[in-house]
Amino acid sequence: MSHHLFLLSPSDTPLYNLTHYSSKPAQPTSTSPLASNLPSWSTSAFAGTLTALSGATSATQAHHVQGGTVRIGGGQDRHVIQMIANASLDVIEEVVRKESIMYLKSVDKFNEWTVSAFVTPGNMKFVLLHEARNDDGIKTFFNEVWELYVKTMLNPFHTAHTPIRSPVFDARVRASAKKYL
Amino acid sequence: MATTSKQYKAIGEDIWKGRTEKINAELFALTYGALVVQLIQDYEDYAEVNKQLEKMGYNIGTRLIEDFLARSAIGRCADFREVGEVVAKVGFKSFLNITPTVVHAAPPPPSPSRSSNPPHSNTAGASFTLTLDENPLAEFVELPEEALEGGLWFSNVLCGVLRGALEMVQMQVQATFISDVLRGDETTEIRVTLTKYLEEEVPVGDD
Repeated sequence: MSHHLFLLSPSDTPLYNLTHYSSKPAQPTSTSPLASNLPSWSTSAFAGTLTALSGATSATQAHHVQGGTVRIGGGQDRHVIQMIANASLDVIEEVVRKESIMYLKSVDKFNEWTVSAFVTPGNMKFVLLHEARNDDGIKTFFNEVWELYVKTMLNPFHTAHTPIRSPVFDARVRASAKKYL
Repeated sequence: MATTSKQYKAIGEDIWKGRTEKINAELFALTYGALVVQLIQDYEDYAEVNKQLEKMGYNIGTRLIEDFLARSAIGRCADFREVGEVVAKVGFKSFLNITPTVVHAAPPPPSPSRSSNPPHSNTAGASFTLTLDENPLAEFVELPEEALEGGLWFSNVLCGVLRGALEMVQMQVQATFISDVLRGDETTEIRVTLTKYLEEEVPVGDD
Protein backbone atom coordinates (compact mmCIF):
# COMPACT_ATOMS: atom_id res chain seq x y z
CA MET A 1 0.00 0.00 0.00
CA SER A 2 1.67 3.17 -1.06
CA HIS A 3 1.39 6.78 -0.09
CA HIS A 4 2.49 9.82 -2.01
CA LEU A 5 3.22 13.03 -0.19
CA PHE A 6 3.63 16.39 -1.87
CA LEU A 7 4.62 19.64 -0.22
CA LEU A 8 3.56 22.68 -2.22
CA SER A 9 4.37 26.33 -1.70
CA PRO A 10 1.62 28.96 -1.66
CA SER A 11 2.25 29.48 -5.35
CA ASP A 12 1.82 25.74 -5.94
CA THR A 13 5.50 25.09 -6.62
CA PRO A 14 6.39 21.55 -5.57
CA LEU A 15 8.97 21.74 -2.82
CA TYR A 16 9.23 18.15 -1.73
CA ASN A 17 7.71 14.81 -2.56
CA LEU A 18 7.95 11.39 -1.08
CA THR A 19 6.63 7.96 -1.99
CA HIS A 20 6.21 5.68 0.94
CA TYR A 21 5.38 2.01 0.76
CA SER A 22 3.62 1.05 3.92
CA SER A 23 4.20 -2.33 5.41
CA LYS A 24 0.96 -2.17 7.35
CA PRO A 25 -1.72 -4.53 6.12
CA ALA A 26 -4.10 -2.89 3.71
CA GLN A 27 -7.63 -2.13 4.85
CA PRO A 28 -10.25 -4.45 3.47
CA THR A 29 -10.95 -2.39 0.40
CA SER A 30 -10.94 -3.89 -3.00
CA THR A 31 -7.46 -4.86 -3.92
CA SER A 32 -6.32 -4.07 -7.36
CA PRO A 33 -3.10 -4.61 -9.23
CA LEU A 34 -2.21 -1.03 -8.42
CA ALA A 35 -1.51 -1.98 -4.82
CA SER A 36 1.76 -3.54 -5.81
CA ASN A 37 5.08 -1.73 -5.74
CA LEU A 38 6.33 -2.54 -9.21
CA PRO A 39 7.83 0.51 -10.82
CA SER A 40 7.60 -0.73 -14.37
CA TRP A 41 4.11 0.17 -15.37
CA SER A 42 2.59 -0.32 -18.77
CA THR A 43 -0.43 1.28 -20.32
CA SER A 44 -2.60 -1.46 -18.94
CA ALA A 45 -1.99 -0.07 -15.47
CA PHE A 46 -3.60 3.18 -16.39
CA ALA A 47 -6.43 1.31 -17.96
CA GLY A 48 -6.66 -0.56 -14.69
CA THR A 49 -7.22 2.71 -12.88
CA LEU A 50 -10.11 3.49 -15.11
CA THR A 51 -11.78 0.17 -14.65
CA ALA A 52 -11.06 -0.15 -10.91
CA LEU A 53 -14.01 -1.17 -8.85
CA SER A 54 -13.74 0.94 -5.72
CA GLY A 55 -16.28 3.57 -5.13
CA ALA A 56 -17.41 6.79 -6.58
CA THR A 57 -15.20 9.10 -8.50
CA SER A 58 -15.73 12.79 -8.51
CA ALA A 59 -17.05 12.94 -11.99
CA THR A 60 -15.72 16.32 -13.00
CA GLN A 61 -12.23 15.43 -11.81
CA ALA A 62 -12.25 12.15 -13.69
CA HIS A 63 -13.22 13.80 -16.92
CA HIS A 64 -10.66 16.49 -16.40
CA VAL A 65 -8.01 13.87 -15.85
CA GLN A 66 -9.00 11.75 -18.79
CA GLY A 67 -8.99 14.69 -21.09
CA GLY A 68 -5.64 15.82 -19.90
CA THR A 69 -3.58 12.72 -20.22
CA VAL A 70 -2.28 11.46 -23.47
CA ARG A 71 1.08 10.26 -22.31
CA ILE A 72 1.11 6.63 -23.26
CA GLY A 73 4.26 4.69 -22.81
CA GLY A 74 5.83 2.81 -19.98
CA GLY A 75 6.12 4.21 -16.48
CA GLN A 76 3.49 6.92 -16.38
CA ASP A 77 2.32 5.81 -12.99
CA ARG A 78 4.21 8.84 -11.72
CA HIS A 79 2.28 11.06 -14.10
CA VAL A 80 -1.03 9.70 -12.94
CA ILE A 81 -0.17 10.40 -9.35
CA GLN A 82 0.93 13.93 -10.13
CA MET A 83 -2.19 14.59 -12.12
CA ILE A 84 -4.37 13.45 -9.30
CA ALA A 85 -2.49 15.65 -6.86
CA ASN A 86 -2.70 18.67 -9.11
CA ALA A 87 -6.36 18.13 -9.81
CA SER A 88 -7.12 18.18 -6.12
CA LEU A 89 -5.58 21.63 -5.64
CA ASP A 90 -8.72 23.35 -6.87
CA VAL A 91 -10.83 21.48 -4.38
CA ILE A 92 -8.39 22.32 -1.60
CA GLU A 93 -8.53 26.00 -2.39
CA GLU A 94 -12.30 25.96 -2.34
CA VAL A 95 -12.40 24.34 1.06
CA VAL A 96 -9.77 26.70 2.42
CA ARG A 97 -11.77 29.69 1.31
CA LYS A 98 -14.79 28.49 3.25
CA GLU A 99 -13.29 27.06 6.42
CA SER A 100 -10.11 27.90 8.25
CA ILE A 101 -9.02 24.57 9.65
CA MET A 102 -5.65 23.09 8.97
CA TYR A 103 -6.31 19.42 8.50
CA LEU A 104 -8.78 18.91 5.66
CA LYS A 105 -9.58 15.28 5.74
CA SER A 106 -10.18 13.80 2.41
CA VAL A 107 -10.87 16.44 -0.15
CA ASP A 108 -10.95 14.33 -3.23
CA LYS A 109 -11.23 10.78 -4.39
CA PHE A 110 -10.06 9.38 -7.66
CA ASN A 111 -10.95 5.74 -8.19
CA GLU A 112 -9.01 4.08 -5.44
CA TRP A 113 -6.84 7.06 -4.50
CA THR A 114 -8.01 9.36 -1.75
CA VAL A 115 -6.44 12.75 -1.45
CA SER A 116 -6.03 14.23 2.00
CA ALA A 117 -4.74 17.72 2.50
CA PHE A 118 -3.28 19.87 5.24
CA VAL A 119 -2.88 23.62 4.86
CA THR A 120 -0.48 25.45 7.16
CA PRO A 121 -1.07 28.98 8.42
CA GLY A 122 1.61 30.08 5.97
CA ASN A 123 -0.47 28.66 3.13
CA MET A 124 1.80 25.71 2.45
CA LYS A 125 -0.17 22.76 1.17
CA PHE A 126 0.68 19.21 2.15
CA VAL A 127 -1.10 16.77 -0.14
CA LEU A 128 -1.18 13.07 0.59
CA LEU A 129 -2.47 10.43 -1.81
CA HIS A 130 -3.41 7.20 -0.16
CA GLU A 131 -5.51 4.19 -0.80
CA ALA A 132 -6.89 3.28 2.60
CA ARG A 133 -8.63 5.21 5.35
CA ASN A 134 -6.33 6.21 8.16
CA ASP A 135 -7.58 9.56 9.43
CA ASP A 136 -5.87 9.56 12.81
CA GLY A 137 -2.57 8.32 11.53
CA ILE A 138 -2.60 10.76 8.67
CA LYS A 139 -3.51 13.65 10.94
CA THR A 140 -0.60 12.88 13.27
CA PHE A 141 1.68 12.41 10.29
CA PHE A 142 0.70 15.79 8.86
CA ASN A 143 1.33 17.47 12.19
CA GLU A 144 4.78 15.94 12.41
CA VAL A 145 5.62 16.94 8.87
CA TRP A 146 4.50 20.44 9.76
CA GLU A 147 6.87 20.56 12.73
CA LEU A 148 9.74 19.26 10.63
CA TYR A 149 8.93 21.80 7.95
CA VAL A 150 9.00 24.65 10.49
CA LYS A 151 12.39 23.50 11.73
CA THR A 152 13.70 23.44 8.16
CA MET A 153 12.39 26.95 7.58
CA LEU A 154 14.35 28.15 10.62
CA ASN A 155 17.61 27.05 9.02
CA PRO A 156 19.26 30.28 7.86
CA PHE A 157 20.70 28.49 4.84
CA HIS A 158 17.28 27.55 3.54
CA THR A 159 15.50 30.05 1.30
CA ALA A 160 11.76 30.16 1.68
CA HIS A 161 9.68 28.45 -1.01
CA THR A 162 12.60 26.67 -2.61
CA PRO A 163 12.78 22.88 -2.95
CA ILE A 164 13.75 21.22 0.30
CA ARG A 165 16.87 19.15 -0.22
CA SER A 166 17.99 18.62 3.34
CA PRO A 167 18.83 14.96 3.95
CA VAL A 168 17.96 15.37 7.63
CA PHE A 169 14.44 16.50 6.76
CA ASP A 170 14.09 13.64 4.29
CA ALA A 171 15.21 11.04 6.81
CA ARG A 172 12.89 12.36 9.49
CA VAL A 173 9.86 12.50 7.20
CA ARG A 174 10.52 8.93 6.13
CA ALA A 175 10.77 7.82 9.74
CA SER A 176 7.54 9.60 10.57
CA ALA A 177 5.82 8.00 7.58
CA LYS A 178 6.95 4.61 8.75
CA LYS A 179 5.53 5.27 12.15
CA TYR A 180 2.13 6.62 11.24
CA LEU A 181 1.27 5.36 7.79
CA MET B 1 42.73 31.05 48.88
CA ALA B 2 42.02 30.10 45.31
CA THR B 3 38.47 30.24 44.13
CA THR B 4 37.25 26.72 43.53
CA SER B 5 35.51 25.56 40.43
CA LYS B 6 32.26 25.26 42.33
CA GLN B 7 32.48 28.86 43.41
CA TYR B 8 33.07 29.95 39.85
CA LYS B 9 29.97 28.06 38.77
CA ALA B 10 27.95 29.76 41.50
CA ILE B 11 29.24 33.18 40.47
CA GLY B 12 28.34 32.51 36.86
CA GLU B 13 24.88 31.32 37.81
CA ASP B 14 24.27 34.42 39.92
CA ILE B 15 25.28 36.80 37.18
CA TRP B 16 23.06 35.02 34.67
CA LYS B 17 20.09 35.11 37.01
CA GLY B 18 20.78 38.71 37.93
CA ARG B 19 20.59 39.93 34.37
CA THR B 20 17.39 41.80 33.80
CA GLU B 21 17.66 41.95 30.03
CA LYS B 22 17.67 38.61 28.31
CA ILE B 23 16.93 37.93 24.67
CA ASN B 24 14.78 35.20 23.18
CA ALA B 25 17.05 32.39 22.07
CA GLU B 26 15.29 31.83 18.76
CA LEU B 27 15.54 35.48 17.84
CA PHE B 28 19.22 35.43 18.72
CA ALA B 29 19.90 32.33 16.66
CA LEU B 30 17.92 33.62 13.69
CA THR B 31 19.70 36.98 13.80
CA TYR B 32 23.12 35.38 13.89
CA GLY B 33 22.15 32.94 11.13
CA ALA B 34 20.94 35.75 8.92
CA LEU B 35 24.22 37.58 9.56
CA VAL B 36 26.33 34.60 8.53
CA VAL B 37 24.27 33.96 5.41
CA GLN B 38 24.56 37.59 4.40
CA LEU B 39 28.33 37.54 4.88
CA ILE B 40 28.52 34.46 2.71
CA GLN B 41 26.55 36.18 -0.01
CA ASP B 42 28.71 39.29 0.21
CA TYR B 43 32.16 37.70 0.34
CA GLU B 44 31.50 34.41 -1.45
CA ASP B 45 34.67 32.96 0.08
CA TYR B 46 34.34 30.90 3.22
CA ALA B 47 37.84 31.61 4.50
CA GLU B 48 37.12 35.31 4.22
CA VAL B 49 33.80 34.86 6.02
CA ASN B 50 35.62 33.08 8.85
CA LYS B 51 38.02 35.99 9.09
CA GLN B 52 35.23 38.56 9.15
CA LEU B 53 33.32 36.67 11.83
CA GLU B 54 36.47 36.58 13.92
CA LYS B 55 37.03 40.30 13.42
CA MET B 56 33.47 41.05 14.45
CA GLY B 57 33.94 38.87 17.49
CA TYR B 58 37.14 40.73 18.35
CA ASN B 59 35.29 44.03 18.39
CA ILE B 60 32.56 42.54 20.56
CA GLY B 61 35.11 41.01 22.92
CA THR B 62 36.99 44.23 23.58
CA ARG B 63 33.77 45.78 24.83
CA LEU B 64 32.33 42.71 26.49
CA ILE B 65 35.22 42.34 28.91
CA GLU B 66 34.32 45.61 30.63
CA ASP B 67 30.77 44.45 31.22
CA PHE B 68 32.04 41.13 32.48
CA LEU B 69 34.55 42.57 34.93
CA ALA B 70 32.03 45.05 36.23
CA ARG B 71 29.42 42.42 36.97
CA SER B 72 31.58 39.59 38.15
CA ALA B 73 34.09 41.54 40.27
CA ILE B 74 36.54 38.69 39.81
CA GLY B 75 40.13 39.59 40.56
CA ARG B 76 43.24 38.87 38.56
CA CYS B 77 43.71 35.25 37.57
CA ALA B 78 46.81 33.60 38.99
CA ASP B 79 47.72 31.72 35.85
CA PHE B 80 46.44 30.76 32.43
CA ARG B 81 44.81 27.68 33.86
CA GLU B 82 42.60 29.85 36.01
CA VAL B 83 41.82 31.99 32.99
CA GLY B 84 40.39 28.93 31.29
CA GLU B 85 38.24 28.10 34.31
CA VAL B 86 36.86 31.62 34.62
CA VAL B 87 36.13 31.89 30.89
CA ALA B 88 34.22 28.63 30.84
CA LYS B 89 32.36 28.73 34.12
CA VAL B 90 31.70 32.43 34.58
CA GLY B 91 32.11 34.02 31.16
CA PHE B 92 30.14 31.66 28.96
CA LYS B 93 27.60 31.07 31.71
CA SER B 94 26.81 34.70 32.30
CA PHE B 95 26.43 35.62 28.63
CA LEU B 96 25.16 32.51 26.86
CA ASN B 97 23.91 30.42 29.78
CA ILE B 98 26.03 27.46 28.71
CA THR B 99 28.94 25.89 30.60
CA PRO B 100 31.51 24.36 28.28
CA THR B 101 33.89 21.84 29.79
CA VAL B 102 37.53 22.86 30.00
CA VAL B 103 40.56 20.72 29.37
CA HIS B 104 43.93 22.29 30.12
CA ALA B 105 47.10 21.50 28.26
CA ALA B 106 50.59 22.48 29.28
CA PRO B 107 52.71 24.08 26.61
CA PRO B 108 55.01 21.80 24.64
CA PRO B 109 58.35 21.42 26.47
CA PRO B 110 61.16 23.67 25.22
CA SER B 111 64.01 22.04 23.30
CA PRO B 112 66.65 20.43 25.55
CA SER B 113 69.40 22.89 24.63
CA ARG B 114 67.41 25.77 26.14
CA SER B 115 66.77 26.47 29.82
CA SER B 116 65.82 23.59 32.02
CA ASN B 117 62.62 25.16 33.33
CA PRO B 118 59.71 22.74 33.20
CA PRO B 119 56.69 24.01 31.27
CA HIS B 120 54.56 26.23 33.47
CA SER B 121 51.02 27.23 32.95
CA ASN B 122 52.08 30.78 32.40
CA THR B 123 54.48 30.31 29.55
CA ALA B 124 53.61 30.94 26.00
CA GLY B 125 52.05 27.92 24.40
CA ALA B 126 49.82 27.04 27.33
CA SER B 127 46.35 26.30 26.14
CA PHE B 128 42.92 25.11 27.12
CA THR B 129 40.18 23.54 25.06
CA LEU B 130 36.52 24.39 25.53
CA THR B 131 34.01 21.72 24.60
CA LEU B 132 30.54 23.11 23.96
CA ASP B 133 27.76 20.55 24.22
CA GLU B 134 25.19 23.03 23.11
CA ASN B 135 25.62 26.06 20.93
CA PRO B 136 22.81 28.64 21.07
CA LEU B 137 24.13 30.34 17.95
CA ALA B 138 23.59 27.27 15.83
CA GLU B 139 20.08 26.12 16.65
CA PHE B 140 18.26 24.81 13.59
CA VAL B 141 21.32 25.28 11.38
CA GLU B 142 22.27 22.75 8.72
CA LEU B 143 25.27 23.62 6.63
CA PRO B 144 24.90 23.13 2.87
CA GLU B 145 27.49 21.18 0.88
CA GLU B 146 29.41 24.23 -0.32
CA ALA B 147 29.83 25.52 3.21
CA LEU B 148 31.15 22.17 4.37
CA GLU B 149 33.66 21.98 1.56
CA GLY B 150 34.63 25.63 1.90
CA GLY B 151 35.61 25.17 5.51
CA LEU B 152 33.13 27.49 7.18
CA TRP B 153 33.27 27.71 10.99
CA PHE B 154 29.74 28.86 11.67
CA SER B 155 30.30 30.14 15.21
CA ASN B 156 33.68 31.73 14.56
CA VAL B 157 32.50 34.93 16.21
CA LEU B 158 33.09 33.19 19.55
CA CYS B 159 36.79 32.84 18.78
CA GLY B 160 36.99 36.54 18.08
CA VAL B 161 35.21 37.39 21.31
CA LEU B 162 37.71 35.33 23.29
CA ARG B 163 40.67 36.93 21.56
CA GLY B 164 39.33 40.47 22.00
CA ALA B 165 38.34 40.06 25.61
CA LEU B 166 41.62 38.45 26.68
CA GLU B 167 43.67 41.03 24.82
CA MET B 168 42.06 43.74 26.95
CA VAL B 169 43.38 41.99 30.04
CA GLN B 170 46.90 41.83 28.70
CA MET B 171 46.91 38.37 27.19
CA GLN B 172 47.51 37.76 23.54
CA VAL B 173 45.85 34.51 22.54
CA GLN B 174 44.91 32.53 19.51
CA ALA B 175 41.45 31.02 19.53
CA THR B 176 40.39 28.58 16.84
CA PHE B 177 37.77 25.92 16.29
CA ILE B 178 39.03 22.36 16.34
CA SER B 179 35.77 20.60 15.53
CA ASP B 180 32.11 21.47 15.04
CA VAL B 181 29.01 19.28 15.14
CA LEU B 182 27.59 21.29 12.24
CA ARG B 183 30.43 19.90 10.15
CA GLY B 184 29.64 16.36 11.19
CA ASP B 185 32.23 16.08 13.98
CA GLU B 186 31.47 14.51 17.33
CA THR B 187 31.91 17.64 19.41
CA THR B 188 32.25 21.39 19.12
CA GLU B 189 35.65 22.47 20.47
CA ILE B 190 37.55 25.73 20.65
CA ARG B 191 41.25 25.76 21.50
CA VAL B 192 42.65 28.89 23.12
CA THR B 193 46.44 29.14 23.08
CA LEU B 194 48.45 31.78 24.93
CA THR B 195 50.89 33.58 22.66
CA LYS B 196 52.33 36.01 25.19
CA TYR B 197 51.52 38.35 28.00
CA LEU B 198 51.31 41.95 26.89
CA GLU B 199 53.31 44.60 28.70
CA GLU B 200 51.43 47.58 30.03
CA GLU B 201 52.10 50.34 27.57
CA VAL B 202 52.32 53.94 28.62
CA PRO B 203 50.20 56.06 26.32
CA VAL B 204 52.32 58.10 23.98
CA GLY B 205 52.97 61.75 24.82
CA ASP B 206 52.08 61.60 28.47
CA ASP B 207 54.78 63.90 29.75
